[in-house]
Amino acid sequence: MKKIVPQLCSVLSNRPLDRQRQYFRLIVENFSAARKIVPGQFVHIKITSGLDPYFRRAFSIAGYDQKTGQLEIIYKLIGVGTTLMSRMIKGALIDIIGPLGNQFSPPDRRHKAVMIAGGVGLPPLLFWAKRLIENGFDKNNIFFFYGGRSKTDLLERSSIKSLGVNFIPTTDDGSFGYHGLVTEAMTQRLDEIPAKSSTWYGCGPEPMLAAIQKMALEQGYRGELSLEAPMPCGVGVCLGCIKPLQNNPKKYIRVCHDGPVFAIGEVII
Amino acid sequence: MKPDLKVDIGGVIIKNPVMVASGTFGYGEEFDQHINLNALGGIVTKSITLEERPGHPAPRTCETKAGMLNAIGLANVGIHRFIEEKLPFLEKFDTAIIVNVAGSSVAEYVEVCRLLESAGRFDMIELNVSCPNVDKGGIEFGTDPEALTKIVKEIVKATTRPIMVKLSPNVTSIVDMAKAAQKGGASSISLVNTLVGMAIDIRTRKPMLSNGTGGLSGPAIKPVAVAMVHKIFGNIDIPIIGLGGISSWEDAIEFMLVGATAIQVGTANFIDPTSSVKIVTGLEKYLKKNKISDISQLVGQVRK
Repeated sequence: MKKIVPQLCSVLSNRPLDRQRQYFRLIVENFSAARKIVPGQFVHIKITSGLDPYFRRAFSIAGYDQKTGQLEIIYKLIGVGTTLMSRMIKGALIDIIGPLGNQFSPPDRRHKAVMIAGGVGLPPLLFWAKRLIENGFDKNNIFFFYGGRSKTDLLERSSIKSLGVNFIPTTDDGSFGYHGLVTEAMTQRLDEIPAKSSTWYGCGPEPMLAAIQKMALEQGYRGELSLEAPMPCGVGVCLGCIKPLQNNPKKYIRVCHDGPVFAIGEVII
Repeated sequence: MKPDLKVDIGGVIIKNPVMVASGTFGYGEEFDQHINLNALGGIVTKSITLEERPGHPAPRTCETKAGMLNAIGLANVGIHRFIEEKLPFLEKFDTAIIVNVAGSSVAEYVEVCRLLESAGRFDMIELNVSCPNVDKGGIEFGTDPEALTKIVKEIVKATTRPIMVKLSPNVTSIVDMAKAAQKGGASSISLVNTLVGMAIDIRTRKPMLSNGTGGLSGPAIKPVAVAMVHKIFGNIDIPIIGLGGISSWEDAIEFMLVGATAIQVGTANFIDPTSSVKIVTGLEKYLKKNKISDISQLVGQVRK
């Protein structure tokens, strides 16, 4: 089998998604995937060839076109690494290894697929929703809850809308969509997504994922959550990105290699 | 002419001087999807203890300038699962298998080595007496020369495999520790393990690691490691395996020039999982270019 090794890819575009320049979309070309790329997976990027920042940075894959080798990432400016990344111009070379990690598992055909995204946790779920529709899943059976602090934190609104899914945006400040937390919006719509016939998929900040997991476990929902953790290696060997297991808190799993997608209730968030 | 990359590590001939360091390569399985494991001189496993250990709670790694801190806390599957689940995978490859052994007491080290003895194909034991992150992780043996000689002697009795003793840099005299390992019957020594370090989150005013302190590794520690290998060379008769921040073939040569017979690639595996095989290729090219027929000719050329 072909080995997954670092590749130098050239930046095709790297543009801000909002006026405040907090969020960016990076598209690179010539990424040749040694494995089929599936929603849920991530890539590990060495932003500079120098020693600061030293570690690679993990980004969930927002999309991939096998024909052109175009790989898409949506990221938020958080620290030194992402700030440097936002300055990369067209033609610059960037060191990427991937695809790494596991994937979302498909919902039952008769189920409602419920995407629950928070902030920059959107990309893998948007990729997943698109893939489900491509594979013939009824878009009317996809619910897309998407929460952010404010309107500007809700990315790709038109892309989500154009999918024709049930889009339920929420903002903490009420500047767009439902005024409140994404979990509060969900509580009001639970009758449309009964536990026995829906599958949840969540990705976003940890407090949100913890709240979704709690709600799901209390009400008997099943599904998967995509987690984030600082990853020194990304390939399963450094044992840095660990989470304790729900049924045995003294056992740890690796977010990078055993995940990043876990069944609801599998790990303590 | 193809240069000779083979080196002799205390009686074990390995195909090239590039090994991967303990704790940076798991038990080999994960890296099989990134590199050709047969290209390596040797694979050193994650430290194995008698019982399975979960290690410390998160956070247990932290990025620093040109390096990282870790306090994993000897998380491992334990010797029984290692023998049943991990060793059979490693045995398939044409590379030296070095099992890293750790413990909390002499009896634990001896028992792990005794269980390994009849377990299957492996070539050497690397003794971890230098983990800085657990109270009883063997560091007490790694900082006291007499205790080190004693434990090595006991382990030599429990196994037929050559013993490589991994030394801690957190000592007053690294030469005394190297001599003590040799006196106990070690066939080689490897150094350095990580340097004790600490980082603080100034927002929370707490350490970045759950354990408080951790072990510093990566390019930041390379000059310290080179100096220690240099200091030991000439003072013992057994081979030195150099490690500490090696990320390129140039780094590997540097270690060999001050006295390392072989090297280990550690933290660099995290940054580029192919770095170890790139180093093998780089060494071969360097030898060809400089018309050096045998890599051992490099060892210890820089004496001052």
